Amino acid sequence: MRWMILCLALLAGSAQAELTYQLEPRQIAEDVWLVEGSTDNFGRDNGGFILNTGFIVTEYGVLVIDSGPSKRFGEALRAAIARVTDKPPILLILTHHHPDHALGNQAFSDVPIAALEGTRRLLAEQGEAMAENMYRLVGDWMRGTEVRLPTQTLEAGELDIGERRLRLLALSGHSGADLAIFDERSGVLFAGDLLFHQRALTTPGTPGLDVWLEDLARLQALPWQQIVPGHGPITRDAAPFVQMRDYLGWLDQVMRSGAERGAEMNELIRTPIPERFATISLSRYELIRSVSHLYPRYEHSVLQRIDQ
Amino acid sequence: MDWRGLLCLALFAWGWEARAAEQSDPVSSVMWDYYHQRLLDSAAFTFDKRVQVLVPPFAEDARQVPIQIDARSLGARVKRLLVWAELNPIAQVVDFQPGEQVLPFLALRIRVEQATPIRAAVLTEDGLWHVGSARVDAAGGGCTAPSVVRAEAGWEERFGQVLGRRFRLEDSDRLRLQVAHPMDNGLVGGIPEFFIEQAELRDASGQRLASLELFPSVSENPTLSFELREAQGAELWLRDNNGNEFQAAF
Repeated sequence: MRWMILCLALLAGSAQAELTYQLEPRQIAEDVWLVEGSTDNFGRDNGGFILNTGFIVTEYGVLVIDSGPSKRFGEALRAAIARVTDKPPILLILTHHHPDHALGNQAFSDVPIAALEGTRRLLAEQGEAMAENMYRLVGDWMRGTEVRLPTQTLEAGELDIGERRLRLLALSGHSGADLAIFDERSGVLFAGDLLFHQRALTTPGTPGLDVWLEDLARLQALPWQQIVPGHGPITRDAAPFVQMRDYLGWLDQVMRSGAERGAEMNELIRTPIPERFATISLSRYELIRSVSHLYPRYEHSVLQRIDQ
Repeated sequence: MDWRGLLCLALFAWGWEARAAEQSDPVSSVMWDYYHQRLLDSAAFTFDKRVQVLVPPFAEDARQVPIQIDARSLGARVKRLLVWAELNPIAQVVDFQPGEQVLPFLALRIRVEQATPIRAAVLTEDGLWHVGSARVDAAGGGCTAPSVVRAEAGWEERFGQVLGRRFRLEDSDRLRLQVAHPMDNGLVGGIPEFFIEQAELRDASGQRLASLELFPSVSENPTLSFELREAQGAELWLRDNNGNEFQAAF
């Protein structure tokens, strides 16, 4: 008898294993909604829902910001939007080309998908490889996911949608092509991955930490009321900026001083993480990645031609 | 603790001893026996933590995975140091023979095709191989990915250039260098093997300090680091399998 119960329990367990993203849009300003992900790494438990997406409901329809990590996520996002408004999506804007932000595009193939020219190019170049890696990292959540390139090109400046005016900033510090979206009416700044908060920043494709710091200065100068970072909790104060600057400065110093004293990569990735970054998720993991991405440039700056 | 507890503990300790005597592989690799036979000629060996093999836990860039071997805590004269990646299509990485003046230390970057154990076998003068082990996780593809070097404009002009510098450490001098070379491994789209296969570290008078055989699992634009016991002059000589020779001085 007992084994039968066990079998039934196992069956029930596998039936429950149906993968569903629990997306609960939260209103953060009038007509502005946030779908907040965790600050974890990609995993089979979260299906890659580790980012913040959002949407703005305008009189003409819904403007969606980032489509998420998979087809399934994009579909869940659409369903979640439909739960809070009867307006249809009219435009999807991608902040940048990274897989957690741009692989849900298929679910929005009936509306224009807009991004910076650089984002389109990078997604075309790297999309397939990134999607493949995502299958490895999160598994079946990705089923049916394919790369869909943006269909419209955005440029820096103002974008009017009905009564709403968005200010678009074309920056590059995180991925090489990063769009930040500032909603003038609500004062909400969708910073994309130019801002990480309580989650270690990631550096594949950064043109340099100095460029990133300049981008931060431009973002911080906007008259924002609320900040939506690409990853981590939203704030009404400048905390994400302060943390980002501190962390970028530390990262830069670790590699600069490392290169000066002739440190190896394997020594740098074991650098102690300062106590003040203890609350930041995944800092060791991201330090290992950042050293791989960036240390060769620092090494180059201290080595000299010695061939004869 | 009563006598039963003690007995239990004794049994456990005995079992543990027996296990240790069998030399259990710290990274449980199915390939160990094969490489023990092929590269170490089935000679006497011991898995030895004093042969430190530093690798990142995962390969962020499978074409450039940094590995660092340090066997100085053996406190013995090292005759040879072999490094290999057990699940790579080209497993062997380097065969390093440091002389008296050169520390049993080596850092370089390699390509990995998949997650793999990394081994460093160090031969001491008593004829025993001390084997250090580590494991690196990887999405893979590093050995068959298209060359980054060959995609760069003007790489032919930089070919053979050596960047380097000497760094004073606490009790040694570290020599770090990078050679501009595609290190083609023959596994990528119709490009035959073309790689640096021999290197020698020499003193100012041309006497050999260490010699090195490299295999094409070493990354393109190879980076190498050595450590010298003393602050003496050093030159590096390299030769690739097409006969090109390169020379650099620290």
